Amino acid sequence: MTPIRIGLAGCGAISETYYAPALRELERTGEVQVVALMDPSPERTALFKDGFPGASFLGGLAGMSKARPDLVIVASPPRFHAEQTVALLKAGIPVLCEKPMANTVAEAEEMAAAARDSGKALAIGLFRRFFPALRAMREIIARGSLGPVRSFSIAEGGVFGWPAQSASFFQKASSKGGVLLDAGVHALDIVQWWFGEPSELAYADDAMGGLEANCRVEMGYGAFSGQVQLSRDTQLANRYVVQCEKAWMAWNPLETNRFELQFEGTGQALAVMTHPSPPDKYRTRLKTPDADFYGCFINQLRNARAAVLGEEEVFIPAEEGIKSLRLIERCYGERKFLEMPWLSERENRQAAALAGGDL
Amino acid sequence: MKAAVLGANGFVGGRMVEKFHLEKTVEVRPVVRTYSGLARLARFDNLDWRLADARDCAALAKAIEGCDVVVNSIQGEPRVILETAVQSYKAAQAAGVRRLVFISSAAVNGLAPAPGTDEAAPIRTDSPFPYSNAKARAEGELSRLRRGGSVELVILRPSIIYGPRSPRWTAGVAGELLDGTACLLDGGRGICNTVYVDNLIEAVELSFAGAKSDGQVFFVSDREEVTWADLYRPIAEALGVDMTAIPGPTGVTPQPRPALKHALKQFHNSTRLQSILPFFPLRLKRVLRAAMATPVKWQVPNPWLQPEAGRPVLTEEMAGLERCKYKLPIRKAEDLLGYRPSVSFEEGCRRAVAWLRFAGYRAL
Repeated sequence: MTPIRIGLAGCGAISETYYAPALRELERTGEVQVVALMDPSPERTALFKDGFPGASFLGGLAGMSKARPDLVIVASPPRFHAEQTVALLKAGIPVLCEKPMANTVAEAEEMAAAARDSGKALAIGLFRRFFPALRAMREIIARGSLGPVRSFSIAEGGVFGWPAQSASFFQKASSKGGVLLDAGVHALDIVQWWFGEPSELAYADDAMGGLEANCRVEMGYGAFSGQVQLSRDTQLANRYVVQCEKAWMAWNPLETNRFELQFEGTGQALAVMTHPSPPDKYRTRLKTPDADFYGCFINQLRNARAAVLGEEEVFIPAEEGIKSLRLIERCYGERKFLEMPWLSERENRQAAALAGGDL
Repeated sequence: MKAAVLGANGFVGGRMVEKFHLEKTVEVRPVVRTYSGLARLARFDNLDWRLADARDCAALAKAIEGCDVVVNSIQGEPRVILETAVQSYKAAQAAGVRRLVFISSAAVNGLAPAPGTDEAAPIRTDSPFPYSNAKARAEGELSRLRRGGSVELVILRPSIIYGPRSPRWTAGVAGELLDGTACLLDGGRGICNTVYVDNLIEAVELSFAGAKSDGQVFFVSDREEVTWADLYRPIAEALGVDMTAIPGPTGVTPQPRPALKHALKQFHNSTRLQSILPFFPLRLKRVLRAAMATPVKWQVPNPWLQPEAGRPVLTEEMAGLERCKYKLPIRKAEDLLGYRPSVSFEEGCRRAVAWLRFAGYRAL
């Protein structure tokens, strides 16, 4: 197996927690060779030197081309995604860009155009689409196996625990959104992947001049409707529930290969573990379940590698990444202030004033 | 008045920042240990936040520089509570801060304080509960520092702090009620020394000034005398859970005591034992060491044992709290701070339930 040469742009928490261990595993299996790591902070790149002793360590993107990477993973803060991705694609280097694809739809469209013009692969790191449980639920919904969808309810969030290495997540100057743009990009990607673009939409959040920590989205699809609730400061149910005519299905983040199901009128709920299809259902018992969280993350990298080698299509191309961003921009465009019923009258007045006067 | 709030991303600290900032009564400076702690604070665009580990005196002193008062509302492991209490005083001293308000706990007087207990009653540092001991030790250390320092000190002792985002006494109660693990001792007739979070914050604000309150300790609670059943009832009703179906506990789980191994190790390291150990035969010591190092062989669990449903047990801590028969007095806080809890228990419960709905809890 010929390893492809990988560059990693951005050595923050996402790279330290996910990309570095995944890339070390793929180096072990001979699928990739990490040739360059880039971060403006030497303290951050220093953390990666033991793991990738053969790589170059760069302070800016300018030197990346010299390392001749076959693929660069852009895992820098979101405000740099568009600029770095476009520069790399124009230099003829394929890119796997971490989510959110960009801060705005306009930036994302520029990235998609750069991919089309260069003819190079651009994959978007909405890696939940690699979860077999979510793929299975999508197929069930699309085929109508449980009858038509009646409603859905998504609640995801808790006290923010991501080991952020800078304040960029939390400052309006560096981030165009709060929990909706950050965690919401996953949830809304799944919503539009399962159900498509909603015909009606209402949105409210608790930003009071800053970035929202809680938000609610109500979506209408004609025959059914659903809601998404996200939080960075309150433990929510963390459950995606789809009510169909014949049964309900539920998924608990981040169970990659398991979901729950109960047929209406039956007394038992089923915990469904997903497996690869058996070669002979009459003789072959299901053994090893589908990939776990780590396996799915690696599968995302394997898909990008295969796309670079011309062996597979990019599973989540730019055109797919843009869809959730469009939904997010639509939400912010419809923004209302989310009432916080524990605030005193005086607080409420000030909160509304800070939020833009809409209460 | 400029106040730094340590633990600004926590339940009490977070609400304090929200309330001070929105009511504009206090110019607030939230201090958090990590960037992640900014998630809730980031809803406001113009907060003067600082990043500092409250165990690092120099970093903390820099973070609170220019503030008139510092409020320590840090929660965490007992070690963290004690260490950050000491360092927050030292940092306040170094930064020239006028006053430190430390949020302690009424648990320093025991979970079920004896009738007649007031702020002058002795506090315990040897209870079975590490949290209470840490708060009591922190109070002791702070009082000692106050005697030798110039930073004024006010210690507040709330007990059951409930309200929006309360992980234990609002969300925790809702969770117990929903998953069927709720139980109440003696039908929940024990006295529950509640304080709605906003009432506590009012007491904090009143502690910022006044010469009489310097060096003083205050119990802080709601005005009403309420029971544990009173705390559970509005949440149960909102969730559609039948209060009359909440069982009594079938037992009490003892609080884990410091491990025997730990006690043996302390004994082993004691000067007295070390001085006589050389007189013991080497072989005997080896045998004893090997015996102590041998892993305990656990019995294979009996596969026929069936899970028992509907037999909830209380922790020793909860049982202690629910045995309380005494409403802690707030007279001293009324007299010296001018404390007048403005949110009634009924209104506090209404807001707590409203927050539960906000957080996505639904009626069954």
